[in-house]
Amino acid sequence: MAGDGEYRLEGLAVPETLDLLHGLLARAGAEHPDITPADLMMFETAVIEIAGNVVEHGVPPGEVTYGFRLVVLPDRLEGTLWDSGAPLPEAPLEQGSVMPGEWREDGRGLALAGTVLDDLSCQRVAGGNRWRMTRLRRSRA
Amino acid sequence: MEISTATADSAEVIRCEGRLNMVAVPHLRAAIESAVEQGQPRLVVDLSATTFIDSSGLGALVAGLKRARQAGGDLRIAGGGEQVRMVLGLTNLDRVLRPHERVEDALDGW
Repeated sequence: MAGDGEYRLEGLAVPETLDLLHGLLARAGAEHPDITPADLMMFETAVIEIAGNVVEHGVPPGEVTYGFRLVVLPDRLEGTLWDSGAPLPEAPLEQGSVMPGEWREDGRGLALAGTVLDDLSCQRVAGGNRWRMTRLRRSRA
Repeated sequence: MEISTATADSAEVIRCEGRLNMVAVPHLRAAIESAVEQGQPRLVVDLSATTFIDSSGLGALVAGLKRARQAGGDLRIAGGGEQVRMVLGLTNLDRVLRPHERVEDALDGW
């Protein structure tokens, strides 16, 4: 933990990264029992989708690095994910915000993340991309 | 994720224990393909011990459903905790992959 209510992780964006993120979120939940299971579950769903998107589509494959920061605030959960991959196409969230039909095998990740978050944004930044994820906490134990 | 298979009288039951994400998906796809290739296109994917599913896991289930139906069978799912059911609902996949409570329920009629 980098500070009270703050958690960080960084490394190479590979499939195993997802397990590290699950672990970090589990630790945050254990250390903040006032986060409701529903809020944590939905936030975790979004984080894994965004990170999975970076792992799967980051360019060059297998060489993209990432940094993740989670901040637990009284009213919201905030996640920021930086990646060193090639700049994303313009407006990836607009393109990915529509939930595909039932028979499609892919294309659900960003739409799903957007559904469980109150705010999701992606920006090109120097050296890569930055994703910001916010979920407002619905209730406190 | 641990993926194990068991042959029931009328179907292959594929049990997914743990997180069904992009790490586990190739194993699930292989288990589905193996069952169909061996002549069993009736599949039950048991999600009762699946703690988390992401969109790549959903994609594997849809692919498996299509594969099973192309081979004259079907793919049904059983179990699934709160996160699994939430994700199925938010993606509208519960229209084509309606979760059965238990494996026994999914096997009903086969």
